[in-house]
Amino acid sequence: MAFWQLTRIRVVYPVILFFLLFVDGAVMSGMGAFFTAFPWHVLPLATLIWLFYGVQFDVDKDMPFWIYVTATGILFDAYYTGIFGTYTVAFLIATMVMKQAKNILDERLLSGLTMFLFGILTFLVITYFAGYIIGIANVSIVTFLLFEVLPTVALNAFFAVIGYFPVWSFFNFLR
Amino acid sequence: MRKLFSSRTVVTIIIAFIVIVGLITGSNWLSKRTNTPPFVQRFSNDLAGGVSRLISVPTTAIGRTANSIGNLLDTFEENQILKAKIDQFAQDKVRLQTVEEENRSLKKQLGLQATLTDFKTVSAVTISRSPTTWQSQLVINQGIKAGLKKGMPVLSGAGIIGRISEVNTTNSKVALISDTSEDANRFAITIKGNSGEINGIITGFNREKNQLIMGQVTSDNTIKAGDLVETSGLGGVIPSGLFVGKVARVTKDDYGLSKRIYIEPAADLGNITTVVVAVSEIGAK
Repeated sequence: MAFWQLTRIRVVYPVILFFLLFVDGAVMSGMGAFFTAFPWHVLPLATLIWLFYGVQFDVDKDMPFWIYVTATGILFDAYYTGIFGTYTVAFLIATMVMKQAKNILDERLLSGLTMFLFGILTFLVITYFAGYIIGIANVSIVTFLLFEVLPTVALNAFFAVIGYFPVWSFFNFLR
Repeated sequence: MRKLFSSRTVVTIIIAFIVIVGLITGSNWLSKRTNTPPFVQRFSNDLAGGVSRLISVPTTAIGRTANSIGNLLDTFEENQILKAKIDQFAQDKVRLQTVEEENRSLKKQLGLQATLTDFKTVSAVTISRSPTTWQSQLVINQGIKAGLKKGMPVLSGAGIIGRISEVNTTNSKVALISDTSEDANRFAITIKGNSGEINGIITGFNREKNQLIMGQVTSDNTIKAGDLVETSGLGGVIPSGLFVGKVARVTKDDYGLSKRIYIEPAADLGNITTVVVAVSEIGAK
């Protein structure tokens, strides 16, 4: 494989996806004093933001995108929770929801943001109910919405907007 | 009328749902019953831990700098409070050294080997923290090679923060006490009240109040807010005398038959960069 082939989107996208999976955990650990300051519980979801960019900028035409989404979920489950299923399903369904929303919405930034909103809400709701299935859920839905969903959506939507045009240019460059 | 889903789609969704629920509950059940994960999972976790270590270097540095700036703002006021306490600590330290020496000498005379209060420590650094809704777990940079085992208690700063929930070759997962799963916070504890001790176990965590719960207490001993809570050592794996926190309030249970004690954890569960694993010398044998 020639070096220039390594700089193509089908190589760069999954490598960054794999890298961001660990960035989320490292950020949660390094900035834990802010993200988990009582009563807040904010989740950095760079991996989901990267999947959103993948859907929004149609990278699924260049690579086996859904295999990468599934592999990301399995690795996330194995490394962070040790319980298989929850995050594999959450990543897959959230990405599917974003893909379906993309078919309805146009390609403007605001529409993209709405699409990301659907995705992140689906992701968080699936993880909330998975907690009920195995009996570890210990906060009410109101507390969950107020202190986890709201700040998590705000933080990640902010970073999704910041990176939107640079990532779009980056993908065009790689193509 | 047009059907929203075909019969085939409905059947597929139902089967997928059953498989997923089975997978989640099955792997949860299995992880509780095994001391180490299967070889493939352990290998991938060790590999992932290596990548995590590299990535955590800059993020931890940024986090520490941000914390330092935050701490700097409170330094003057904190310094005055600490100066007032330091004389008392010096007295306590001298007394503790004397009592420890006396304890060692008495154990020797009685021919005792290890007791509930004897434990050695293994220091570790946090390399990752699960960005998840439930099951807040840390990944630390010590594993089987350092002698860690599932169930060992983990301390940070002022007190206990959780216990080892999974051990890989070069890293381990720590389930925090804020997690309601049985692996995380079912510690045998004792409360030192004025009219005597109360023994029991932690039965849950109230995330909305950030307090541990000790339920089904039937003892008549009087407990009040501010009383100290520590591990009792019963069960053998967790040493005795590890500081858990202070009593926040005492209430009656739903039927008025027993007491429910709410405990303010001593450790800050947000800012955990380094931890200490307490290895009981009784449990290790």
